[in-house]
Amino acid sequence: LTTPGFLEISGIAWSGHGKIRRVDVSVDDGKSWQEAQLQEPVLTRALTRFRLPWHWDGTSAVIQSRAIDETGYVQPTLAELLAVRGDNYYYHNNAIWPWRIAADGKVTNAQP
Amino acid sequence: MRSLEVAVLAIVTLICVTDADAQSPYGIGRVATPAEIAGWNTDVGHDGSNLPPGTGSVSHGREVFEQQCAACHGNKGEGGVGDRLVGGQGTLATEKPVRTVGSYWPYAPTLFDYIRRAMPQNAPESLSNDDVYAVSAYILNLNGLLPADATLDAHALAGIEMPNRNMFVGDSRPDVRNPACMTGC
Repeated sequence: LTTPGFLEISGIAWSGHGKIRRVDVSVDDGKSWQEAQLQEPVLTRALTRFRLPWHWDGTSAVIQSRAIDETGYVQPTLAELLAVRGDNYYYHNNAIWPWRIAADGKVTNAQP
Repeated sequence: MRSLEVAVLAIVTLICVTDADAQSPYGIGRVATPAEIAGWNTDVGHDGSNLPPGTGSVSHGREVFEQQCAACHGNKGEGGVGDRLVGGQGTLATEKPVRTVGSYWPYAPTLFDYIRRAMPQNAPESLSNDDVYAVSAYILNLNGLLPADATLDAHALAGIEMPNRNMFVGDSRPDVRNPACMTGC
């Protein structure tokens, strides 16, 4: 990121089990979440764009998104996924992936 | 396997959209012709359905493999830049599972579909059906699943029982529960 101020967080969500019902975004390292806006059309098993306006104050932040599909399945954290499937688990890694934004705007992987 | 199923769904969706667009006020696009659809409809079922005519021997497969595959997958499929293709049987339940065609894949016809669709990586869909049968036969031979003098066609490929065939479990989802906490998490 180059300048603090208003930014739009955007991405795409997908489920193999139907439509995306909701996408939540956190900008405070997972402490709180806000519902993002979905862009129509929202179709079954189709990539669905979400967006959330954000005011970046220029300090370090961890952002992440969490998709929920029409069956109610909530995208898990990596820790939740590994706890159930074990660390030799191979396919279908659909874990939430957080990203750290440094004060200088540099973006790095923040998966713990 | 799942990604192949998804690919099929994606194609079906695309056709529907094209159909709708033909009647749209934008006047763009056209309905795919049956010949075009046939060209894309190359999916091979796990049971060997939709395998094309053709035949290939283990010995010819060795030649094709050495020319087209060995640079990435190793001379005997031991792996390199590309995935290891051979061995690993009996390791899947250990701490260091070795997942190969021989140790992991549940169905042999998938091998044909994958090679024809995706390999060699620098020139996918460049091999003839006979060459794909041959190189499939060679990879199965390297895994001890086909004799060195064997020849494969659609019927023979569909008849091969892969060692890991019955070790898969059903889709366990939803098995991971994220409570979707909104505040004070």
